Amino acid sequence: MQREVGSLPLAPSLRARLAAAGFQTAQELLETGPCGLSKEIGISKEEALEALQVVRQECHGGAARTAGGSGTARKFTALELLEEEQAQGFIITFCSALDNVLGGGVQLTKITEVCGAPGVGKTQLCMQLAVDVQIPECFGGVAGEAVFIDTEGSFMVDRVVDIAAACVQHCQLIAEAQQEEDHLKALETFSLESILSHIYYFRCLDYTELLAQVYLLPEFLSEHSKVRLVVIDGIAFPFRHDFEDLSLRTRLLNGLAQQLIIVANDHKAAVVLTNQMTTRIGQSQSTLVPALGESWGHAATVRLIFHWDNSQRLATLYKSPSQREATIPYHITPHGFRDVQPPAVTQNAGGTEVNPRKRPRREEEKQ
Amino acid sequence: MAAKKLRRAQLSQELCERLSRCQITTCQDFLCLSLLELMKVTGQSYYEVQKLLCKVSRACAPKMQTAYEMKLRKSVSPSSAFLSTTLHSLDGVLHGGVPCGSLTEITSPPGCGKTQFCIMLSVLATLPVSMGGLDGAVIYIDTESAFSAERLIEIAGNRFPSYFDSDEKVFCMTRSIHLYRELTCCSVLKRIMSLEEEIISKKVKLIIIDSVASVVRKEFDTKLQGNLAERSNFLTRGASVLKYLAEEFSIPV
Repeated sequence: MQREVGSLPLAPSLRARLAAAGFQTAQELLETGPCGLSKEIGISKEEALEALQVVRQECHGGAARTAGGSGTARKFTALELLEEEQAQGFIITFCSALDNVLGGGVQLTKITEVCGAPGVGKTQLCMQLAVDVQIPECFGGVAGEAVFIDTEGSFMVDRVVDIAAACVQHCQLIAEAQQEEDHLKALETFSLESILSHIYYFRCLDYTELLAQVYLLPEFLSEHSKVRLVVIDGIAFPFRHDFEDLSLRTRLLNGLAQQLIIVANDHKAAVVLTNQMTTRIGQSQSTLVPALGESWGHAATVRLIFHWDNSQRLATLYKSPSQREATIPYHITPHGFRDVQPPAVTQNAGGTEVNPRKRPRREEEKQ
Repeated sequence: MAAKKLRRAQLSQELCERLSRCQITTCQDFLCLSLLELMKVTGQSYYEVQKLLCKVSRACAPKMQTAYEMKLRKSVSPSSAFLSTTLHSLDGVLHGGVPCGSLTEITSPPGCGKTQFCIMLSVLATLPVSMGGLDGAVIYIDTESAFSAERLIEIAGNRFPSYFDSDEKVFCMTRSIHLYRELTCCSVLKRIMSLEEEIISKKVKLIIIDSVASVVRKEFDTKLQGNLAERSNFLTRGASVLKYLAEEFSIPV
């Protein structure tokens, strides 16, 4: 209530007039009332009423926040966060080595960045994740939908069809092996058509369309509340050409990162970005580093770098707040993103599970 | 889309005038500013500016389509998804041939046959659909002056003797291959930018650029300081225009 008039989100001209008339705190404004306000600073009654409503919303929003309501300023204890994190789902990648390295899979509410040279498998992983996010909960997935924002044009529908068919087949094998009620019921809705119709695809041709789309994302996600994954394939591409003003680029990228963090937290979605590699020419050697500069490196919480070693593809966990750095090999098969060796068929231990949704997967044997 | 004028984004007239006084006329300029700058420039409150931002974003954001709709659209016209190269093993590896709607790059050491391959693809594209072609014109941007019309006719005559039996058919085919000789990066870029209208008017079904590397290497010496950035600028700009053309018209590039 003692909030300064200068800090209220009113129009600048209005603020200037209020300051000139001698108003200092929001309390004074509310006491004056719309008619008095309009007479004192010379604006119409409607404008005065609007201004007072804004002020009231701000002040009451602040009061509700301090009472522990669900405003924008969140206060948690670490214990609450721990419970929330343990109950949180992961989006599996179907490559168990990569899932282990990531601590279970791609985490919700966090931004994961995948960097790599061209052709190493970034878009393949994105398409795999867009299918995997839709796996029903009884099979260990998060049963969500996916938003795919494509700036490079490398999204191939036929490939997604292949990946989705393999995923449905995998779930069918599990269902047949375990023969449980909810498995069979979930399989009825988990079909090729439903997977494809829950991938929302946007094709952005330049950075303005990308910015516009990210501004509209919160609204889209409130309408489609089941979305649990936002993929931006190629965040570097529109920003790497036609930018003479590098400081503008940094500013836009930071704004984008902040928007994405808000989206990830508010809607409990995972955000996956793919980045390109660029060559940094040092004193005597040149190294491949992720593109878009140093300050962009802070935007992502988890960073994966894909690279080649002779003819084997490797994935390195480069930055993560909770997991150790590790490098694992992976394969791209006609079925999608997979491990290098077929994993052994493991017997499931009894019911010592913390999370009933995360039933251990039974891997099928490679044909 | 980015250069869309704010007037057409359904903003009020006086707001547009106010913004144009600060040199903000397109959606791109509007979206590049931060919220505080927008408040200062438009003179409106925080919430109003957020609403304006949503309005402008909606004016230039791309349309949503689900993957299912895309698949349906593709399955409606399956034959137009690829240009078969008539080399069976290559077609097998490419799952049908050179894909329509995306960029394909052919690289090799000199003398392996890239230009020959391009000439053959031009012949294939002019063939009618029943023979596996695209029945359309070809735009061939040649930077090395390596295109030979005689070789073109030789390939056509030897490969499809039954089809090119009359002179008239040969003339028809050669008339639909449009050759542009560009020798500098600048002119290549200008040519690519001007392609959109030509594609529509001449019913072009294939774009070939032979080759990108030669013209770039001639002009940009990577040892000099600023050239690396300029070179990648030129390449990415060209690439994004070509991608847009390929997708928009569903043709191979």
